[in-house]
Amino acid sequence: MKLSHFYKFLHIIILGFVFFTFKIFAIENIEERVKKLTLELRCMTCQNQSIYDSDAEFSNDIKKIVINKLKAGESERDIKKFLVARYGEYILFRPLMNYNNIFLWSFPFILLIIGLFFILIMSKRNKV
Amino acid sequence: MSSLVGFLSLVIAIGINFYLFLSRYIFKFKKQKFNLFIRLSSLLTLLSFFSLMYAYVVSDFSNYNVFQNSHSNKPLIYKISGTWGNHEGSMLLWLSILSIFSFFFSFTKNIDKSFQRLTLIIQSLLHILFGLFIVFTSNPFLVNSILVNEGLGLNPILQDPGLAVHPPILYAGYVGYSIVFSIAIAGLFQNTDDEWLYVAKKWSLISWTFLTGGIALGSYWAYYELGWGGWWFWDPVENISLMPWIAGLALVHSLMMVRGEQAIKKWIVFLSILCFSLSVFGTFLVRSGILTSVHSFAADASRGIFILLIFFIVTGFGFLVFLLKEPKKSNDLNLLFINKVSALVINNILMIIATLTILLGTIYPIIIEVLYNKRISVGGPYFNSTVIPIMIPGFLLMSVAPILSWQTNKINNSKKYVLAFIVLSVLVLIQSYFLDFNTWGFVGLLLGFWIILASIIAIFSSYKIKINIKFFKIINPHVAHIGVGIAIIGITCSSVFQNELDFNLNEGDKFIVNGKTVLFEKIETTNEINFQSLRGKFLFDIEKNQSKEIEAGKNYYPVSKMITSEAGILHQWNKDIYFILGDQKNNEWFVKVLINPFVSFIWLGVIIMMYSGLIAVSRR
Repeated sequence: MKLSHFYKFLHIIILGFVFFTFKIFAIENIEERVKKLTLELRCMTCQNQSIYDSDAEFSNDIKKIVINKLKAGESERDIKKFLVARYGEYILFRPLMNYNNIFLWSFPFILLIIGLFFILIMSKRNKV
Repeated sequence: MSSLVGFLSLVIAIGINFYLFLSRYIFKFKKQKFNLFIRLSSLLTLLSFFSLMYAYVVSDFSNYNVFQNSHSNKPLIYKISGTWGNHEGSMLLWLSILSIFSFFFSFTKNIDKSFQRLTLIIQSLLHILFGLFIVFTSNPFLVNSILVNEGLGLNPILQDPGLAVHPPILYAGYVGYSIVFSIAIAGLFQNTDDEWLYVAKKWSLISWTFLTGGIALGSYWAYYELGWGGWWFWDPVENISLMPWIAGLALVHSLMMVRGEQAIKKWIVFLSILCFSLSVFGTFLVRSGILTSVHSFAADASRGIFILLIFFIVTGFGFLVFLLKEPKKSNDLNLLFINKVSALVINNILMIIATLTILLGTIYPIIIEVLYNKRISVGGPYFNSTVIPIMIPGFLLMSVAPILSWQTNKINNSKKYVLAFIVLSVLVLIQSYFLDFNTWGFVGLLLGFWIILASIIAIFSSYKIKINIKFFKIINPHVAHIGVGIAIIGITCSSVFQNELDFNLNEGDKFIVNGKTVLFEKIETTNEINFQSLRGKFLFDIEKNQSKEIEAGKNYYPVSKMITSEAGILHQWNKDIYFILGDQKNNEWFVKVLINPFVSFIWLGVIIMMYSGLIAVSRR
């Protein structure tokens, strides 16, 4: 068996697992959702610390807001919008995927594609 | 007095380097004499560094730098480490390490003498640049204009044994790449044979090992001192040290291809220049005060501009030489899907993508602020969802890469690996169902165990097992990868399966952590030499006779009026139990307990990687 086949096989297994787990385990309880969301928010009064990790007054206030809003049924997106309107984009550790940040988000994947092309060209040149 | 000695020897050392650089084109030196001068300048730089250290140890407050950053009632170790606990001193440390590397390089044998001299000339140029930077913008030997009996004190957060040794080791890594840089440039100029690649490999491995140690010390410090229970925060300063580390890792791996007679010189030279450029760039970002963190001491714009200038000179010069004196085209690579060469090429491409992504993410907020005058953050979530997925194919490959063949894409015993992988994934899946299922947890555990398992299979099926030094050198790549696997397991478990418990307690209360009863004994305050401490004392597992005592609390440093948190950590081989004492409210203390599974695996993995870095230095 060639190693290449093995790796194709392996890749499919992993992708399959990842896909299924995303499907099956999408439901989470409020506590986990709070953790997930507050980990992505910056404590504005601390030094590069997430709201989840911090015990500053600011963070505790935001945690309360997040919990209340989640309980009221608002989505993570709405909460983020609310916080950005109040404190600016600086509060988000995960930059918004919008038109302005398109370069930031696409950069690694553009590089990946260039890398792939590079390998393809190199291996083609080899065969000739 | 010591300041005068220090300053004079610093200036003379720079003068010698000037002389050496000029004399190469005016006088003809005999080679012994040349090396002698290099060593002399190194010793003078060290003398200058030690005289600054002496001023710190005896608390000589007539030195302005000592006055600003030291205090007479500090333990001796922090007087010593205070030498590099400030901008000026740390730049002098940088220069001293640069000259130490030149010093040792001047003793290298088995190397073309004219090549060695050219390398050292380039080192001299770097010495001059950084030396002038110190003399003109950050002189640590300025005289204090007022007479004082006491200094202003060292930032309390730096008063820690881990952080005392972290800068020298990290700098040894950063500055070590200067030698690799010089070798690569000299290699471009002379372009004789490939001998320099072997020399470059040794030095890049040494630098990489130091850099690994420095980063690990830094994150271990963050783990127990910052008191959030995490050890990596994708902080800009951490990212900056990670970039040369990954680029250096790519360099070490491409230098492997030299052995396969597949030298891709161009790429190796490029990486060598990149590593040092990233190191200087990191220094610029941290020292210029553009980024705020514990590392940026008093910020001063003129210094930032000066370092930026040095960065442009070094990088510009490096890449200019690279473009003008391009190495002769080496023979085509024997790329197959998948043999060792293509595995190494893929690994290099992925590592460079990771480095560039981290670079963009780190400077992106600065760019946006300059362009749109808007502050945004690029933090952990961005890096986690870009860098980590990109690295996954690399992690998959590294398990078997060391035993791949250079020539063909066949692999022995491939059935064994497939079988092992299937069994492993089923096992990890079953395990995941019993614990809380988490996608990243699953992928991380699978990758970690797969790397370890495949490396072990590879060792046992490809080599004859013998217990001698030669055998350990042969299996070294596998050992390094096992270290990575162990670290991945530790990283995954401690970040994904971390458990947090919050309590509000009175003294004397009992509470349950992880099935064990813990007693909150008492609160104790004491006065130490340079701080006041507040400690909550906990007894873990009181039902047993050998219950363990844990102390968590805060320190108050009156000199700088700062409070630091001191986490109490109970280390066990499979988990750390991490106590944080919060504030007192309504007569109750807030206590946070984090259970971090398998943190020790991270440090174990790092130690294994460093071990194999050192072993690889001795292997040709």
